[in-house]
Amino acid sequence: MSALIAIRGLRKAYVMGDETVHALAGVDLDFQKGEFVAILGPSGSGKSTLMHILGFMDTPTEGSIVFDGQEVAKLDPDLRAWYRSNRVGFVFQSFNLLPRLTVLENVALPLLYREHSDPAANAAAATVALERVGMSHRLDHRPSQLSGGERQRVAIARAIVGSPSIIFADEPTGNLDVKNVDRILDLLGSLIKEGITVVLVTHDLSVAEKAHRVISMRSGLVQEDRTR
Amino acid sequence: MKLFDRLRPAVVNGLRELQANKVRSLLSMSGIILGVASLVAMVTVVQGMVGNFRQFVDAMGGIEKITVTREQLPKEQEHLAELSEGITMRDVERIRKTVPLVENISPEARVGYERLIIDGHETSTYVTGVTADYLPVAKRWVDPGFGRFISGLDVLNMNDVIVLGSAVVPELFGPNEDPVGKIVKIRGRRFTVIGVLNNIEGTGMQIRSANSRSSGGAWRWRNSGAFIPVSTAQAKFLGNDRLSGLGLRIGEAEQLRNAVEQTERTMLAGHKGLRDFAISTNEQTLEDFRKTEAAFKLSLGGVAGISLFVGGIGIMNVMLASINERIREIGVRKAVGARGSDLFLQFLAEAAVISVVGGVIGLAVSMGIVALMNYILTQALPTGAVATLDWVIMSQGLAFSVVVGLVAGVYPALRAAKLDPIEALRHE
Repeated sequence: MSALIAIRGLRKAYVMGDETVHALAGVDLDFQKGEFVAILGPSGSGKSTLMHILGFMDTPTEGSIVFDGQEVAKLDPDLRAWYRSNRVGFVFQSFNLLPRLTVLENVALPLLYREHSDPAANAAAATVALERVGMSHRLDHRPSQLSGGERQRVAIARAIVGSPSIIFADEPTGNLDVKNVDRILDLLGSLIKEGITVVLVTHDLSVAEKAHRVISMRSGLVQEDRTR
Repeated sequence: MKLFDRLRPAVVNGLRELQANKVRSLLSMSGIILGVASLVAMVTVVQGMVGNFRQFVDAMGGIEKITVTREQLPKEQEHLAELSEGITMRDVERIRKTVPLVENISPEARVGYERLIIDGHETSTYVTGVTADYLPVAKRWVDPGFGRFISGLDVLNMNDVIVLGSAVVPELFGPNEDPVGKIVKIRGRRFTVIGVLNNIEGTGMQIRSANSRSSGGAWRWRNSGAFIPVSTAQAKFLGNDRLSGLGLRIGEAEQLRNAVEQTERTMLAGHKGLRDFAISTNEQTLEDFRKTEAAFKLSLGGVAGISLFVGGIGIMNVMLASINERIREIGVRKAVGARGSDLFLQFLAEAAVISVVGGVIGLAVSMGIVALMNYILTQALPTGAVATLDWVIMSQGLAFSVVVGLVAGVYPALRAAKLDPIEALRHE
């Protein structure tokens, strides 16, 4: 079975003043379809850089990324935007819902930037996604009217509304209380049944333990890659 | 269609932002409001003035009229005063023969400010001796049912007939009285009223009631006066063959300069080189007016231009502030798939929405200004409404504001489009 994502010799260097920082120093990894993976590491380990590159928000300095059989390491910004809109979902630590939009509008946002975007179809798809996370009763609320756990569920609905192949969750439980942590992690874990690859990026070992595979990073390199 | 699909949410977003930041948006709009209001009001009022002045020049005989009047000899010719015989019918003949550009010549002999008496009623007005050519030269006429004007035969026979200005009629006759055929006395001489000149204000003739002293309005001076045959005036009142002046009408306004030159040469030759006459046209008046109009347009246009420029800066400023506040939003939108061009469109549409709303408010303000100007101007010169707003000017004003908004929005929108999504998402 060919991997959803195969990365080889991935490097990313930043020039900061006179110094060159190697955020990624040669990473080889494969991600399978429907995998629940955690990328674990302290800050500065390169896990966020890896997530940004795999999430089409950034490009590597060197190396190859094959996504669904296509080489995607060096795409122009518009093509990367297309991948973000059609293939990738993001869940952030601080939810990043837009305060002036309703729950429904927030969830439909990724569909707005697709070609042949149709408001009625977008709203229908967003409603389905909200039903999936158990938030369909609050379509017309603003994010400020929701609790932290509810906001993160809305954010997950936004991530899945476009039927992505992969979801990156960046410290998704960092702002939540214990009760909501499990609920959100269970929800994310359940997405793999739909064939979505879920990548959890965290520095918290107890969170990473929920995943089926834990990749530990340090200094821009993969230190350990173990599957439970 | 695709662009429209992308624009619709952008415009909705713009309206939402406007609603969320009402005070800030209104402040940023103030320049646009002032600019559009002054632009539309200025163009409207100046156009009204131009229209009004055209009417005025027309009432003066139009741009195709040349006036020749008697003038004192210049200093260097004063010693030749004895040789001056003034303007006479001989000048009329000479111009008729040598200046073919002139189509009509109206010799005028002013009798003076005379008392007109009929059966206990009396009024005073200027009495002038004229020929049938007075009508085409002064662009006047006698309406059907109001008699006739002085004819060539009246002039030839020195008939004691008189044509009254419409403003004179109510001073001498009752409201339902027909003046034609009545006898009016001037200095004891009996004149038969043969007609009434058209009323200049309004369409056709409007004879006001006798107790309406203000009849005729601003054109009263044009509607007053009485006209008798020029020969009658010369023989029976003035006692000489002199004229007070000539009115000349030419066929085409473009030939005015040539006609003036040729008339001057003919007059000089006929007067043995004596400059005992002056030639004037309405062109100078019109030229003066054009200068005033240009000055108005320039100064008010400058005010409007500066306001719109300031308005543009206001919009740019508020857009930059808005983008600074919404860096994270821009990051989120990019993370979920927005392209740079999507964000460019969104913020450009927001700027356009601000300017359109500002422009519409500006149009409403301009209506108020024009109404106020009309009120003031009609108090000053009672010739009726001066300016009316028309939708062409208003839509131009609105288009102007949209252009300003779009130009002002380009730079902030470019900034939003170029933001790096990772940096934007990290922004606190």
